[in-house]
Amino acid sequence: MKLGRHVKTGRHDLHGLTGAYALDALTGLELDQFEHHLHRCPPCENEVRGFRETATRLALAVAASPPPELRERVLTLASLTRQLPPEVREVPPARSPWLPRMTAAVAAAAVAAAVALGVVQSSTQQRLDQAQAESRSVAAVLAAPDAHLAVHRTTAGGVATVVASPSRHAMIISTAGLPALSGGKVYELWFVSGGTARRAGLLPAPASGRTAPLLASGLAAGDAVALTVEPAGGTSQPTTKPIVVVAL
Amino acid sequence: MSAPDVPGSRPALRPLPGREEDLAELLTLVARGDEAAFEAAYDRLARPVYGLIRKVVRDPAQSEEVAQEVLLEVWRSASRFDAGRGSAMTWVMTIAHRRAIDRVRSASAQTQREHKVSTVVSVAPEGVAETVESRLDAERVRRCLDSLTELQRQSITLAYYGGHTYPEVASLLSTALGTIKTRVRDGLIRMRDCMGVSW
Repeated sequence: MKLGRHVKTGRHDLHGLTGAYALDALTGLELDQFEHHLHRCPPCENEVRGFRETATRLALAVAASPPPELRERVLTLASLTRQLPPEVREVPPARSPWLPRMTAAVAAAAVAAAVALGVVQSSTQQRLDQAQAESRSVAAVLAAPDAHLAVHRTTAGGVATVVASPSRHAMIISTAGLPALSGGKVYELWFVSGGTARRAGLLPAPASGRTAPLLASGLAAGDAVALTVEPAGGTSQPTTKPIVVVAL
Repeated sequence: MSAPDVPGSRPALRPLPGREEDLAELLTLVARGDEAAFEAAYDRLARPVYGLIRKVVRDPAQSEEVAQEVLLEVWRSASRFDAGRGSAMTWVMTIAHRRAIDRVRSASAQTQREHKVSTVVSVAPEGVAETVESRLDAERVRRCLDSLTELQRQSITLAYYGGHTYPEVASLLSTALGTIKTRVRDGLIRMRDCMGVSW
């Protein structure tokens, strides 16, 4: 095997990679080189397009019905997920704009941004970027088949948005419109079960009235989630009446 | 599966959105946040998407997860679909294939795949027309695959259905990298012509 030649792929060689590219069989440096080349090689683009259409026939030949419950889940999650706006500027992209190539984690984190932030009209790219920087765990919670969402008003004002996945033993919480706290006080999150509360974390400081998604793990079956106002640094047991309790 | 129930307020849609143009139209509506259109698109896409992912990922539970991600991605990024650059079905299947590949190429999934025997899951009953249609598709694909050389056919199926990189395919078939690269390409040219794909 001519490894040297493989690593140092020449322009001529790149043309021959259309097939492997169309089947997603290129990786690493070679993939980057080919995609760079592709945008300046209309015949290559054309060939890739035809190969992709061909691959679609291969895909249709193995069609199979998913479990029926997937339908309701996807439709529900869709109704809670903000959509990407169309691309209106002509910017030469690093990768094809037609097929945004996102890792599962980034894509799911972007969905997390939409869902967990409760973004309705005010979503900004900055906010999405911020959420995309969230860990893979957030993505995992959101991608979990049993992930579900609850939005509750708090007695202090504002809303808390919770996405919980019992199978992942984790949840994400974000808030909007909660009153600012003075004297270093914090909003503390609790898992509540049978009259006992377990610490689940402190909400981050709000920015323009919102708190960024907080991932809390250790969720057990039957837990409810509660928020209380506590002294700086939080406490080991709640000392005030919860401003919201979310049954999951 | 019956024809998706799309409210009559959209006369542009034909009663049976079974064909490509209809899917493209549906995606245009989906991009505007039309949930009924997404429901119809789901009914068109769920089997192709899940089937391909099952083929690549194999594990039913993981396949379902990936299918959920892909179908949500269709909702989320429908505005990025550009009919001038390829068919709607191909846009979706490309997303599905890449997500399936992402899943199997992550190290943990790979170990799981090696050690886990895939389980048989029950398949939901289907409408007759759809079964016939997909059977015809499958038959056409089989016939065209048969027209390839053994090396072309194995290279394509290991890469696409197997989710292998082409260096992995070369290793599996004990064949030089350059040869695999060429066989994938000329095999696809032959498949494309055999199936009458025009782009």
